[in-house]
Formats: sequence, C-alpha cells, structure tokens
Amino acid sequence: MDNSSLPRHTIGADGPYWSSLVAGRPELPRCEACGRWHWPAVFRCGECGSWDQRWHAATLQGAVFSWTRTWHPFAGSEGIGVPYVSLIVSLPVHGGLRLLGILKGEEDGLCIGARVYGEVAETAFGEDRIPSLRWSLQE
Amino acid sequence: MSASAFSGSVAVAGVGMRQYKRAQAPMPERGVLVRAIVDACEDAGFDPADVDGFVSYGDDHNEPVRLMSDLGTKDLCWSSMVWGGGGGGIAGAFGAAAAAIVTGQAKAVVVFRALVQSDSGRLSGAVMAHHMNDHLLGAGLISPAQPCALRAQRMFEHHGVPLAAARELVRASYYHGARNPNAVSYGKELDLDAYDQARWIAEPFRLFDCSRENDGAGALLLVSSERARDLCKPPVYLLGVAQGAGKGWGDLLENDDHYASAGFASVARRLWQQTGLTPADIDVAQLYENFSAQGIASLIDHGFCSYENVAEFVRFENLIAPTGGLPINTAGGNFAEGFIHGIGMAVESVRQLRGESANPMPGARTCLLAGGPGAPTVSSAVFGTERP
Repeated sequence: MDNSSLPRHTIGADGPYWSSLVAGRPELPRCEACGRWHWPAVFRCGECGSWDQRWHAATLQGAVFSWTRTWHPFAGSEGIGVPYVSLIVSLPVHGGLRLLGILKGEEDGLCIGARVYGEVAETAFGEDRIPSLRWSLQE
Repeated sequence: MSASAFSGSVAVAGVGMRQYKRAQAPMPERGVLVRAIVDACEDAGFDPADVDGFVSYGDDHNEPVRLMSDLGTKDLCWSSMVWGGGGGGIAGAFGAAAAAIVTGQAKAVVVFRALVQSDSGRLSGAVMAHHMNDHLLGAGLISPAQPCALRAQRMFEHHGVPLAAARELVRASYYHGARNPNAVSYGKELDLDAYDQARWIAEPFRLFDCSRENDGAGALLLVSSERARDLCKPPVYLLGVAQGAGKGWGDLLENDDHYASAGFASVARRLWQQTGLTPADIDVAQLYENFSAQGIASLIDHGFCSYENVAEFVRFENLIAPTGGLPINTAGGNFAEGFIHGIGMAVESVRQLRGESANPMPGARTCLLAGGPGAPTVSSAVFGTERP
C-alpha cells in the first residue's frame, strides 16, 4: 500500500477505525463497562464513565437511514464523478449506530429502510484517497 | 409564565448593513466591516470610539482588536465568538453581547459578521472546512448542501413532510425580496416553473432550495435598555436568547437522535421558558434558511407547526407580510435578500420592529431570529418593541 492511502487520523478516538479500515477488517468501538456502542468514537463513556473502550469486528449489514444523490460537481468530487449517491446506514448489530458511504451498483429500490451490505473501498478526494465504505442494495 | 429578569435589559440601538454581489465588494473585508459598524453607530447617534465590545460567529476572520485603529476605540473590554463553522451561532452572539453588558464587563457591544470572498473565500467552503473530516469526505460529502440534503430526505421521505412546503417557503422569501430595493432579487419574484425545473444540486435540493452567497458586512450595536432610550432610534429589546445543543445532537457524524430536525429542540424550549412567550406570541420571524428544508425544520422545532400540520402552516399566504399569520424573512432572507452568513436577518429583525422594513408588518411587537438550522450548535433569539 502506498502512502497516499494511509489514513490521516490515526491518533484520535477513532484512530483504530481508520487502521482497521485500511487493513480491510473494519472495527467499531463498544464500552466494555456498559456495553454501549459509541459513534463517533469516544475516549471515555459519557454514560457510565468508563475509559475502557474496546474495538470489535463490524458487521456491515444494515438499512438505509437516509440518502442523497449529488449532481452538482463540488470541487474535489471529480474522482468520484457525479451523479453519485451518499448513504447513511444504520447498523442494528451495533446498537443502530450509523456509518456513511457511497452506494455501489444497482440503484433501483433505493429508499429509506432498504437493506444494504458494505465493503471497504477508497474514495478519491482531490489528490487524496480516503479509506471508506461502499454499500450495495441487497437483492 | 413570566419572563426572566434578564429579558429586555439590553437593546439594539443601531444597525448597519453593506451588501454587494459576490466578489464585488468595493473594499477588502475589514474596510467593509468598519463601514457597517460606523453605519450602525450613526444609526444610533453613537460615537464609534465608544464601542467597547465585539461579538461574532461562524469563524469570522476579523479579530476585534484589529478594528480599533479604524474605529478610534478607546478601550476594548470584550471580544468573543460563538463556536461553530455555520450560521448556528448568529443568535447566540446576541446572548454573548448581552451577557457582557448585563454583567458590566462592557457597555456598548457590536455584533457583526463580515464576508468578502477575495479575503475569506467561498463561505460554503469555509463552513465545510470547519466540519470536514475523512468520514464525510469518504462518503462524497463535500459541501454543506449534502448533509442538509440527507436530513431533508429523511424529513420528506420518512416523516412525510410534503415537498410542496419547501416551494411555499422559498416563494415567500422571494415575495419579500422582490419588494425590497436592497435585496439581490429586487423586482424578481420566484418563477415557479424555474423552481420546479432547476438543476439538481443534491437531491432533494434543486438550485433554488439553496441560499446565495454575497460579499458584505452587517453590524448591530447593543447597549443597556436605559442607555438605548437616550439614543436616536426606538430601542429594540432582546427579550430572550438561547444557544447550544441538547444531548443527542451535535457534531456526531450524522448520528443525531432527531436527525431530520434542525437541532433546536433544547434551544427553543429554553427560549420559550426564558421569555414566557409561546409561538402564538410571535408576530414575525426571520428564519435562517441555508436550505429550504432546514427552514421548515426550524419552524417545526420552534413549535409553530408539526409533521402533521406542516402543510397547513407552511403556505405562501400564511408566510407573507402583512396579511400572513407568521410572515417570515420579510427582507427576502438568505434566498432572496442576500446571504452574508445570515447577519441580514438580524438587521431585518430590528428594522421590522422599528417599522423600517421594506415589507412592514404593522403593529408587530415580537420577532423571532432563528439561527442556522442543522448546525451542531444552534441558537435563537426573540426581539421585541416593549420590555416585559
């Protein structure tokens, strides 16, 4: 893997997310003390006060929470190419936390509530390549 | 319910506003800002050198200490900024100014916002730079229109708000802008076919669902209500102001609890508690609309209507002065008057209550200023013609 695809934010609370994404095995954080999934990631659980946040393999299966299809070629989107659909996906296995990503493939049947599955990919933004998720509608 | 002791103790005594087409300001940003501040002082009959405090929002670039030489400032006693990259902090700026005055830390505070593209770049880019991160960029979310579109889609598709409501709201703003000689859209009402056929920006938003960007600056001079009575114009009292975010709302990577809302639940609750007012007591509203759907969400959050009756309330006829039940954006708002990060809406709040609006609402006694909806930190204020 060349430098251009290294994640830029490995020192924040969500650092392990970026590392796991680059490794192709995305993980999400859960409070070891109270079991709450936190997203965005936290250093300390604001609900129970625990500092023990552990990362677990993510199950990238969920439902479309909302979507938008972008038509205006905003600066930086050239590498994606309009039109494209951005998704918010709610993951029931992870307490309903929502991840973002771009829809891949078939768009028929796209609506709030549609079931999708995800995979790791890269998104071009200007000169950068950002580790990210691609979602596909389930048959 | 009675108003808090704070309510009405501070007033707006002067307003100044300079607006230009984008990239056409005749001076660099600081020069335009100084011009607007001096306008506000002249409006009040107040020596600019006696202004001793400044508050802004939305990452304004003009640090108050740098204005001192132009204004002749004798003693800078207060300079602060409401956090946040968007327009969510605009009403909160009046709270900071009032806090300074009520506690005696400053006596005359200017709330301002200045934006000249050749100095500060495109506003949309600056807002996104504040909130941008690789989670958003990786999903192709590059501009504020897109996260707002995601919220809007949820509001229309999941909560069942009719798309027609957005059109009504935009049409009302243009109706007022068409009648305001200072508006970018002066003389031009919304062409409904053009609205319906306009190019997509990010679904469900087409071009005319999006605010403009303009060069310019706005400034409002605040002093104690006692002092305001000795100045030129009738005081416009700050009846209440609230800013912030409730639990479950904020900078949460699109994980907000009430995602389709504009984020005002806790702010509106505190605003009504503080003022003892209800939505029925509001005569006119300046409703920051970055995008059409967010303006609707703002009305719902403040309790003017609900998902169930939004179509009855957000009707063109109900939103225009002087005959509507709640005229909104009576100078044209961010869609039609122009957009200097919303500061024009604060200026119009004051002008409307003084009877100086291009679209006057005769007898109006209260005006709501609802700040940038959907921002992580939001704020609202109520202005009035009388102390409680």
